[in-house]
Amino acid sequence: MAELEIEKLTLRFGGLTVLSGVSFAVDKAELFALIGPNGAGKTSVLNCISGLYPGEGAIRFRGQNISGLSAHHIARLGIARTFQHGELFPHMTVAENLLTGRHARIRTNPLKEMFFSRSVRREEVTHREAVEKIIDFIELERYRNVQVANLPFGIQKIVGFARALAMEPAILLLDEPSAGLNRDEREDLARFILRIKHELGIAMIWIEHDMQMVADLSDRLHVLEYGRSVAEGSPDTVLKDPRVISAYLGRATI
Amino acid sequence: MSSREPRASGYFRSSYDQGLRLIETRMQWTALMLFLAALGTFPFIATSFQLDLACQVFLAAIGSIALMLLTGYAGQVSLGHAGLIAAGAFTAGILFKEFGAAFWITIPAAAVVGALIGLIFGLPSLRLRGLYLAVSTLALHFIVVYLGGEYETKRGFSTGIMIDAPRIGDLLIRDRKIWYFVLLAFAAVSLLISLNLLRSRTGRAWAAIRSHETIAEALGIGVPAHKLLAFVISSSMTAVAGALFAYYRGFVSVEAFSLFLSIQYVAMIIIGGMGSLLGAILGAIFVTLLPYMIEYAVGFLPNARSYAGMLAAFNYAAFGIVMILFLVFEPQGLVGIWRRVQNYFLLWPFKQKPLGGSRK
Repeated sequence: MAELEIEKLTLRFGGLTVLSGVSFAVDKAELFALIGPNGAGKTSVLNCISGLYPGEGAIRFRGQNISGLSAHHIARLGIARTFQHGELFPHMTVAENLLTGRHARIRTNPLKEMFFSRSVRREEVTHREAVEKIIDFIELERYRNVQVANLPFGIQKIVGFARALAMEPAILLLDEPSAGLNRDEREDLARFILRIKHELGIAMIWIEHDMQMVADLSDRLHVLEYGRSVAEGSPDTVLKDPRVISAYLGRATI
Repeated sequence: MSSREPRASGYFRSSYDQGLRLIETRMQWTALMLFLAALGTFPFIATSFQLDLACQVFLAAIGSIALMLLTGYAGQVSLGHAGLIAAGAFTAGILFKEFGAAFWITIPAAAVVGALIGLIFGLPSLRLRGLYLAVSTLALHFIVVYLGGEYETKRGFSTGIMIDAPRIGDLLIRDRKIWYFVLLAFAAVSLLISLNLLRSRTGRAWAAIRSHETIAEALGIGVPAHKLLAFVISSSMTAVAGALFAYYRGFVSVEAFSLFLSIQYVAMIIIGGMGSLLGAILGAIFVTLLPYMIEYAVGFLPNARSYAGMLAAFNYAAFGIVMILFLVFEPQGLVGIWRRVQNYFLLWPFKQKPLGGSRK
């Protein structure tokens, strides 16, 4: 069974049809790239999956239909995401941002928290340790106690990536994680993505404009244009597909 | 949050538990003990007037800490604070007058009433934001004050409800010195509860909601539930402050809870510094003492007597000017000034903090 299956996903805002009949399925430990020109509806697909937009059609997570559930419910099931502009909590430190990502996993209640009872303290320590593992995995040790607002944009994006990972998701939705990163940071990101795939076995839906990265890393591609699926398959075949070339890639003119 | 950095040089944490402590170093313990000793000796050297000021500051501090949780941390604007204080005061007053209820019943009752009102008047926050939410909380103020006024006139207490000095066991709380310690204890407990909430899951969820509601939702935070929780906890604390206020004054009447009181509380958290509990306390001190400082200053003017009648007008004007000055020149409030002074001495003889990447 596929980890995540999307069937005939359609999204309308009034008279505007943003997505029409998009279908695909992602397997465990699969790196599934979603590409297409600006305005094709890539981010809308992610917003529908994470419950921020009300799409029509079925979205199944491990066989369970999740369309119509509230966003925080979907996040708790194990679908985490990053955002195009990082969208971190600027007043918090990196470690606090990641701890916030673990919100749904922390088992305390406000009454116990008021008195910071022993169980609250134990939970905080446990989850701080879990956060440290992520910090170690994503190599953010230098920054763990730095307020996010003081970090350069590239690092902020990586922190957003780490925050999604801190949720211990089954599926990771990555919305242009490489945009705004410099070459070194991109290489780091590619390494993290591959380690997540191989070591953690998390399925990833990855929106990306860097075609070199997509061709090198992704297992399968899905191409959108004006809210419709144009092609799907392995990078080798899809990137040579004449429809994809005319819709998105364009021809090299020398 | 940033107040949890270690201060002493050469101090390194060796466990995560250490990072959770409110007080980490021996220096901080010493400072706290000295501060507590100063608070403990104050009533024995202060005049009765100064004691009254201190009690007023403690009452205001409970209210401003509560509002800071709601507005400064959870990001929900409220102009209904005076209404909640009134609700607490009337709960205590009515329970005392009608049933002769004791202090240990009326205070928890005020907390429960506050929590319920918070739950109901928190509901608009699920749909409204910012200014619109503020206007909806105004309704709370007018409803409570109207109901309080109705009670007063219907029951024939049109000048207000008199409340006897409360009693805890055999201890009659009438003397200002005893009041000082009782109110100090309540303020300290409010502060501790708030500190604890803010360093755990709920506090982070509030901060997340304040910066990005959608993102918070996508991280698995139940945004509506946490907003309501902020309203419930803040309102409950405020109502307790109101009940204490009623006992302290020995008297409840609607006139004490004007809209200006709500604005004063908003001023406390702005002048003190948004998003800081220390700011809430500094703001409470500043706003409570401001009228007295003005009165004192006016006393030095030539022909001081002739200004006596205009003092109220002076107060309002000065209040407005101070608010504007803070918003324009020190948006981080008193706590911003405090941090700058602190940094100056911490960094001396250097001027700048090291840039991101190293320890803050």
